[in-house]
Amino acid sequence: MSSPSDTNQVAAMAEEGAVSRFFRATEIDSRMIGMIAALMVVWAGFDIYSGILRPNVGLFGGSFLTPRNLWTLLVQTSSIAIMSTGMVLLIVMRQLDLSVGSMLSTIAVAIGVLQVFKLGPWLGVGNEYIWIIAVVCGIALGAIIGGFNGLLTAYAGIPAFIVTLGGLIAYSGVAWALIRGETVAPMDKTFKLIGGNGPLASIGPFWSWVVAILACGLVVLGLLNGRRERRRVNFPQRPVWAEVFLGLVGSIAILGATAVVNSYPWAPKVIENYAKDNGLAIPPGIEDKNGDAICMAGEAVVRCVDGLIFYTGYAIPVLIALAVGFAMSFISKRTRFGRYVYATGGNPEAADLSGINTRWLTVKVFMLMGILVAISAIITSARLDAATNSLGQFNELYVIAAVVIGGTALAGGVGTIYGAMLGALLMQSLQSGMTLLNFESAYKDMVVGTVLVTAVFVDQVYRRRVK
Amino acid sequence: MMKLATAFAAGVAMSLAFAGVASAKDKTIAVSWKTFQEERWKTDEAAIKAVVEAAGDKYISTDAQGSAQKQAADIEGLISQKVDVILIVAFDSDAILPSIKQISDAGIKSIAYDVQFEDPSALYVTFDNVGVGRLMAKTMLEKGKSEGNFAFIKGDKGDPNATFLFEGITEVLKDGLDSGKIKNVCETFTDGWKPDGAQKNMEQCLTSNNNAIDAVVSENDGMAGGVVAALEAQGLAGSVPVTGQDGDKAALNRVALGTQLVSVWKDSRALGKVAGEAAVALAEGTAIDALPGVQKFKEGKKGIEMNSILLAPNPITKDNLADVITAGWISKEEACAGVAAGSVAACN
Repeated sequence: MSSPSDTNQVAAMAEEGAVSRFFRATEIDSRMIGMIAALMVVWAGFDIYSGILRPNVGLFGGSFLTPRNLWTLLVQTSSIAIMSTGMVLLIVMRQLDLSVGSMLSTIAVAIGVLQVFKLGPWLGVGNEYIWIIAVVCGIALGAIIGGFNGLLTAYAGIPAFIVTLGGLIAYSGVAWALIRGETVAPMDKTFKLIGGNGPLASIGPFWSWVVAILACGLVVLGLLNGRRERRRVNFPQRPVWAEVFLGLVGSIAILGATAVVNSYPWAPKVIENYAKDNGLAIPPGIEDKNGDAICMAGEAVVRCVDGLIFYTGYAIPVLIALAVGFAMSFISKRTRFGRYVYATGGNPEAADLSGINTRWLTVKVFMLMGILVAISAIITSARLDAATNSLGQFNELYVIAAVVIGGTALAGGVGTIYGAMLGALLMQSLQSGMTLLNFESAYKDMVVGTVLVTAVFVDQVYRRRVK
Repeated sequence: MMKLATAFAAGVAMSLAFAGVASAKDKTIAVSWKTFQEERWKTDEAAIKAVVEAAGDKYISTDAQGSAQKQAADIEGLISQKVDVILIVAFDSDAILPSIKQISDAGIKSIAYDVQFEDPSALYVTFDNVGVGRLMAKTMLEKGKSEGNFAFIKGDKGDPNATFLFEGITEVLKDGLDSGKIKNVCETFTDGWKPDGAQKNMEQCLTSNNNAIDAVVSENDGMAGGVVAALEAQGLAGSVPVTGQDGDKAALNRVALGTQLVSVWKDSRALGKVAGEAAVALAEGTAIDALPGVQKFKEGKKGIEMNSILLAPNPITKDNLADVITAGWISKEEACAGVAAGSVAACN
């Protein structure tokens, strides 16, 4: 660790304050810290306030910071978070997709019709291939619609705003026409699991720990790989303490989140039904209304502390969202495609002149957006166990808001995947929290709108300060 | 000029036709639809047409294609054709008023079909919307739960119907709410009546009450679907009664499966039939207030008193599921999909 660049850096750092030295050494985006801090404040606030109204088992005595609510919050966020990762790339490229909501309803309805009215009768209801065919067709449809938006934007020269505004209106018509405003239900049994509605659509504590340990391994590998790469291209290294710190914080966050989702017990009724269906014996015990397990008290099934109990673990849509976030971060940072996107967003003319096929690149980014919308459509319809043309309505607004709160500049060139996902989580936290507190919905809208504008304002001020 | 000439010629032809037979038959009943883009109006049209033609009268219609101007022009055209009664599904209930004046000046009777416009000369035929809320609550008390923790999942806050419904609901539940037998533990509007929004609202409600919810009053079937999904995740679907309205196919299936208590059903065929019969009677010269079932109605925006026929909706539960099947609204297979043999009479 005694290369010349290292010593230079150390000398420069000595002149800085402790805080900025810390950020410089760890290379942490201080805006991300700001967002996480905002999130923590919001969470704590909701927990304290809900605790005053109705005491519960949360961290501060409320019902917000409970494993159950946090678990639900993650599931509720996943659909918007997935779409926001694609929207980041579009906005970075100075494009926009207003049609994601309508696209979502079209795809959801199309795969709903496919599995309920076509594949069900054809292959037999419950056939194990139904969900695979539905998912593949949904993703293909998303790529086609997204690609179509992209072609019109890039090759026909129509501004993306107009193309996708038209799409917003037209695709909602398609969704309506497909089923004439009716509801398609119920979805295929396996397909339904993708929605993460309830404990049975989760992977359970054991596999959650496996996933967590693999993720920690990835964090460490990533850090090691980063060091090797930096050495190869003779780039200044982070100090070892900073690397260790990042590795520890990352791992603790992953393990902590896993511990939280793993401590969300199944609802007593669900345990009871599961035990009945699988012929499990329910142990005898003494009734305790505060317990999460179930026991037999004579003939009756009651809640108790020491009895039959299962824990949930990560819900499938949350895992999908995390995987998408990881993949999209990788794509945006480590691939040529990603670098071209940022280069084009920073300066389209320069990118074009330097040989990037910006038109084809635009089509590809729109196509990627379509695929992500399809994944969200699959999750949303699976979660509701039904598809209607109203699914996805207004989603374009929430997706764009999440991206903007996450620090993506509408002028293009700047934006991060994790920022957008955190933005989505913050928005959903506000909405869920206010619903939990029984806020009137007019006030909910006012708060969410205000937060959106304030977040962008704070971000602007911050950027100016840094300059 | 050509248009005027044609209209004139048509008018002459029409009046000649009428001059020939002045009997009770051969009257012309016209309908001015606001739009034919929505599937449901086709059902209504079939019902009205059947009644009119069975009485030996003539049925004609125009489609305003979602435009208030087009509707005004349509109505002028109908007046010049000297029809006897015009049924109107108003696109804009205020902009239509000058046209209604023209109709009554020409001595033609008008019927406000399903959408109200406030003109005392017209007959208003619709479902009793406050009644839908009352019926939901009544069915909940009689066949679901009559005490405990109630959650209220309301529709879009911008839609006056969401509030009308809630008025009807609270009116029936008032005694229970006042005495404390019924506790309102969650009450929330749902943006755009969206089912996935209702699902999230219900999840939050269950979380904040630790699942101690005894009954859910959802204002329509789509949202009831979201509510049932949220209940299912907690193993509560089927043990917590849920209300709804519209007679959605998926909801009727839930009623059969037992995860939804009731879907209040407004049969547009019944509405069309009643309106068609009223139109035929008016064409034959019956006075508006002499029609069967007419009552005064002044609950509109401006509070103008009108003659109206308010149809009672039909609350569909497990017990009368056969009503929707025999009416041909839904097939037995669709309604009974996945239902265990012998659990619902209508499915046997």
